Amino acid sequence: MTKYVLVSDLRRCVGCQTCTAACKHANGTPPDVQWRKVLDIEVGEFPDVSRVFVPVGCMHCDEPPCQEVCPTTATFKRADGIVDIDYDKCIGCAYCVMACPYQARYKVDGPSWAYGEQTALEKQRPYDKRIGVAQKCTFCVDRIDEGVANGLTPGVDPAATPACVNSCPSAGLIFGDLDNPDSNVSKLLRENETFRMHEELGTGPNIYYLWERRS
Amino acid sequence: MSGAGPAEVRKVPTYCYQCVAGPDLLTVRVEDGVPTEVEPNFGAEDIHPAHGRVCVKAFGLIHKTHNPNRVVTPMKRTNPKKGRHEDPGFVPISWDEALDMIGGKIKAAMDKGLVDESGFARIAASFGGGGTPTYYLGTFPAFLAALRHIDFSFGSGQGVKCYHSEHLYGEFWHRAFTVAADTPNCNYVVSFGSNVEASAGTCGVWRHADARERGIKRVQVEPHLSVTGAASGEWVAIKPKTDPAFMFAMLHVLVCEHPVEHLDVPFLKHRTAAPYLIGPNGFYLRHADSRKPLMWDAKANAPVTHDAADVDPALLGSFEVANCVEVGPDEQVWTHDRVVGETAHAKLVAHMRPHSPEWASAICDVPASTIRRVANEFLDHAQVGATVEIDGRTLPYRPVAVTLGKTVTNGWGGYECCWSRTLLATLVGGLEVPGGTLGTTVRLNRPATSRQLSAVPGPDGFMNYPMNPTDKDNWHRQPKSRSGYSTLVPLVANSAWSQALGPTHLAWMFQKEPPQGWPKPTYPDVWFMYRTNPAISFWDTPRLTETMADFPFLVSFAYTHDESNHMADVLLPDATDLESLQLIRIGGTKFIEQFWDHQGFALRQPVAAPPGECKDFTWIATQLAKRVGLLEAYNKAINRGAAGVELSVGNKNFALEPEKEHSVETIWDAVCRAASAEISGGEDSEGLDWYKEKGFRVTPMSRLDWYLYPTLADQGLRFEMPYQERLYRIGLELANRMHENDMHWWDTQLDEYQPFPVYHDVPGVWSKVLVKVGKDPKDYPFWLLTARSMQYAWGGNVGVQMIREVAMNVAGHNGVILNPRTAEALGIEEGDVIEVASHLRSVKGQAVLRQGIRPDTLLMIGQFGHWKTPLAKDFDTPSMNSLTPMELDLTDSTGSGADLVRVSVRKVKGGAQ
Amino acid sequence: MSSVTQFRGVNPWRQTYWDGRAVGNFVGGGTGTGFLAIAAAAALAGAPARFLALVGLVFVGVGLTCVWLEIGRPWRALNVFLNPRTSWMSREALLAPVVFGLGGLAVLFDSTAALVAAAVVGLAFLYCQARILQAAKGIPAWRQKEIVPLVITSGLSEGFGIFLVAAPLLVESMPLWPSVLMLVVLGARFVALRAYVARIAGGAVPKASAKALLQVAPAVIYGGHLAPAVLLILGAALDQWAIAALAGLLAAFAGWWFKFAIIVKAAYTQGYAIQHTPARTPGYAGAGGHPGW
Repeated sequence: MTKYVLVSDLRRCVGCQTCTAACKHANGTPPDVQWRKVLDIEVGEFPDVSRVFVPVGCMHCDEPPCQEVCPTTATFKRADGIVDIDYDKCIGCAYCVMACPYQARYKVDGPSWAYGEQTALEKQRPYDKRIGVAQKCTFCVDRIDEGVANGLTPGVDPAATPACVNSCPSAGLIFGDLDNPDSNVSKLLRENETFRMHEELGTGPNIYYLWERRS
Repeated sequence: MSGAGPAEVRKVPTYCYQCVAGPDLLTVRVEDGVPTEVEPNFGAEDIHPAHGRVCVKAFGLIHKTHNPNRVVTPMKRTNPKKGRHEDPGFVPISWDEALDMIGGKIKAAMDKGLVDESGFARIAASFGGGGTPTYYLGTFPAFLAALRHIDFSFGSGQGVKCYHSEHLYGEFWHRAFTVAADTPNCNYVVSFGSNVEASAGTCGVWRHADARERGIKRVQVEPHLSVTGAASGEWVAIKPKTDPAFMFAMLHVLVCEHPVEHLDVPFLKHRTAAPYLIGPNGFYLRHADSRKPLMWDAKANAPVTHDAADVDPALLGSFEVANCVEVGPDEQVWTHDRVVGETAHAKLVAHMRPHSPEWASAICDVPASTIRRVANEFLDHAQVGATVEIDGRTLPYRPVAVTLGKTVTNGWGGYECCWSRTLLATLVGGLEVPGGTLGTTVRLNRPATSRQLSAVPGPDGFMNYPMNPTDKDNWHRQPKSRSGYSTLVPLVANSAWSQALGPTHLAWMFQKEPPQGWPKPTYPDVWFMYRTNPAISFWDTPRLTETMADFPFLVSFAYTHDESNHMADVLLPDATDLESLQLIRIGGTKFIEQFWDHQGFALRQPVAAPPGECKDFTWIATQLAKRVGLLEAYNKAINRGAAGVELSVGNKNFALEPEKEHSVETIWDAVCRAASAEISGGEDSEGLDWYKEKGFRVTPMSRLDWYLYPTLADQGLRFEMPYQERLYRIGLELANRMHENDMHWWDTQLDEYQPFPVYHDVPGVWSKVLVKVGKDPKDYPFWLLTARSMQYAWGGNVGVQMIREVAMNVAGHNGVILNPRTAEALGIEEGDVIEVASHLRSVKGQAVLRQGIRPDTLLMIGQFGHWKTPLAKDFDTPSMNSLTPMELDLTDSTGSGADLVRVSVRKVKGGAQ
Repeated sequence: MSSVTQFRGVNPWRQTYWDGRAVGNFVGGGTGTGFLAIAAAAALAGAPARFLALVGLVFVGVGLTCVWLEIGRPWRALNVFLNPRTSWMSREALLAPVVFGLGGLAVLFDSTAALVAAAVVGLAFLYCQARILQAAKGIPAWRQKEIVPLVITSGLSEGFGIFLVAAPLLVESMPLWPSVLMLVVLGARFVALRAYVARIAGGAVPKASAKALLQVAPAVIYGGHLAPAVLLILGAALDQWAIAALAGLLAAFAGWWFKFAIIVKAAYTQGYAIQHTPARTPGYAGAGGHPGW
């Protein structure tokens, strides 16, 4: 079996938002829709403060609350773990947006343009199918599918790897198959301490946050 | 996505050099002729320090290209009145009309003589910070070279707020225009406000992330918790501008609390001036005949010259020396029959004695125990005595470094900080060795392509340095430019970069109020401006904008309308980053953390046709050269290498016919062929088509070139540390020259030329300025600082929507950061509108409450405050630049100031949240 | 006008996708099904089924129309039926035509039996509504288990309250039992509300969410429960229907208001949390945090 997960090495991330931008390029999302973004979080009080940059987005949960609530089955989980949306089925009730504890889902009601008028870029990358329906990170599923079909390994070959992972200038995002014990992500999880966000909600999120090497 | 997929998809290799931390290599996906995506250049994975990655700014290039707010035709001003509140009345014109108009002005200037009655160039130019516009200027530098006299002293548009003292002192001491830790080999870094995670580009980000994973400890000393502070092991919240005290205390710990044996004694004895004997007048004791500095040889128990072989120079102690001299300013000589000289190191120990951590604690608001611990950790991690082999050569290995950031390296205190940092490295033998503190590149010394080749023997066993003259016969009584860089700042030298690294704000200040003995101010007849927006990014920007409005003829290469080109007479739309052609050098070692194992060339090429009438810069340069009758000189300049590569390589000659007008492609094809020949030792001559397909070409280089130590060791040279006899002397000489001419307004700056920096109340300088202008410092109880935004810095991308969108994920891009404790005391809540006022004026913005800032400090990220630039003018994000004064009193001897100002703050109204 | 991004930050924010129209569904559905329940009892006691069924259906219908107006792709609305296996929204949607079918029969044939059946299915519909909120894991103020009894008792209270307002239009003299029933459901809602508020005050939701709810809670508790209870008793004692109707109106309004507070005002997202701060130097990791909580 295959189970795609993302590892975010919080030690490496500097919050530069390059992944945010790369995602916007690869997926042609409209203004203010960010399937991937990096949070700038403070913990503690002056002068004992930590500032942490935390990449977030769809966690491709084992038990996706979005899928459970979706009245249309538009949100579905693939055998490889990716949670995807059938835009043609979605009615845009936004119930999945309410169910996602990661604020990973968006719904836009109409076209909006970065500069107020549609540019050549926006004409080239129409997103009308995603208007009025739920949208979120797909782990760049098209790249993965095309890559796998061409014998490439997601997380290793850039052409089969999510754009955010490819772009990261700190190599702080690592993508791969957790069911493969020899994969990059399996190795990282064995050798390092990680946590997952809001795990207590029973979602089984699949972004692992690496925070320290295992002693 | 909907609809059928694109009919045609191409991936085009190119480079991004929007910031000084470039270049990075990327590919652009082009669908049906429309650039849609940026991707890293994975083909560069093995040769680029950041494995072919580019940062968020490069991704913004797509949106920069598609921005409908672009200026896409040449335009001229129809309203002769200039000013912020005047409508310029720009109307589209043809290129012919625009070029004729500019050409006419230049020809008129040439007819009058390119230097005016005050001795200043009639044509001036300002290109944005860090020299990055050079990588987009095409062959325009060849046009400027053909014109010969250009005044660059209005600066790059940012005030003198770069790593300025570091540039000057760094080049002086170790050919370090900028300074970096040897991050891949370093284990312990004390970073005073050096914001590398935001300013060192992808190479810095990648290298430091690797280092963190490897186990480096970085202690970030700064008043607010920057992105770099966030990514550090420890944050020390120091009071603004008190870094010199912290560093002095570190030096105290090393030299006063540790026996000298804990330091790198061989390094100090043989690679520094620590054993040089200092005479009673403060100058080296020198051999009476050879005038070489003397040391005390412990082996022979006798004085020896600095270059004597097989000696054991004493580091500590005072020794009686017979028959020697001291040489002061203007060849003043003191002859000593018998005199006691003290070693420079002994003098250093005495100098640092009062500056204990306890002394510094009160100044820095940092516990003495923290300062002492950091100093001791620095020493412990230095591994004094360890060695490492690099490419077959055994070198010292000292995995510790001290790095400095902006506002630490510039303005008052910059000398103390740069000296302390260099000395800390020196004491442990960690200067220019693996793991240690390294220079990156040279800009003032020559040749610019090699730090190693620039390190040639100079006086007294040190490297040579091209100081501007201070002797009676050669001092530039008549300033060479409006900033007077070569008159006032000997250290800034006289390279092509020197003008822009002089005290450029003086050029602005002296336009209105020239000081005693200064030539009558004149405006340049023509001022070119590209990728710079001084009306936003300088200091005291409203005042500067008023001055700019008085310039008679301003030509702006314009991406969009902005606050500076609002004053322009002509706007010229250039084809931008993804639309034009240029070959540049890549690799080697460059600022800031670009340390490559390769060097070579990369091409920037059009991935899409430029919109409207936007033209390639090289075309513009050629047309201007033709119009002013300088085509031949222009082509010859290109042939000499003004486009980056000399076109004759060995027996291969790709030179352009000088008399002919050449197309953009022809010119760059020749440059590409010459580059291929150069990189292959004359073997190859691939041209433009090859580079268009491949994107770049490199050849391996030795990592030994990262370090200057081998070059000095091979030549028997010493680092000019710790004692600054040479600076002390030229300072006295400069004072003599100025006083002879009744110029006393630079005296405070002249006092800074001391053999050891003398601690003074650096923060107090700002209070004194307030008192001088009749204000009570108590009314301005806070420090206002700025910090770099990685998303924006240097990018000229403030009008790009996507950048704004993603930058808003980083705290502070929406307002003024202040500590919640401060806010509570002032009744301010998150999102409230607050007013921040300096003695000049006030700005308003939203309160952003963050724990990661000292309660006595406010922070405004980046440089906003736009009122004209489309999109940006709707931000409501304030900038400190209109609050920061341009003052001679705030200018140090290198001619730099710092980005900080004392302010008050009050709540204006409740916010939305 | 270009798109100028506003700051969002890392604290939980108020969701804006479900607005007044979503509240309309919970108000209409709750009130309508509550109304059908008491209407069925009234019909069994002899009241005319047709009118009562119609009033109940109008409430439910208006509510569903509100939802239809809110969804992004209204012409695909029928897809809502596709996931009864796990989605309470599908289940609610599947029950809606049954309610309308049975209610329609009651209207058409003035059938008490059909009304009773519609009321029973309506209660199931109401239960679905409660579970819809509870299943929304992303909104802490909704996902608490105490939300289920609260939504059910509130729906009943709202419906019963409206019945007290509407009843005088049907019968000349009002019996006492509706007021008694009203008191019972009000009491039940009071208990459910107290439990819910205790949960909220106990740190189960982000600070901003708790603030929004706790701001309105006292008014809802006193104005929506104690005041109507007193009025009901007073109305019974004085045999004044108008007073009972006022009590009903207060009870219904309090439910609507609190639903608005829960669904719009207090609907803050979960926010983000980290369990540890990362070790930027090995050994230098720290405790995590949950901004906004």
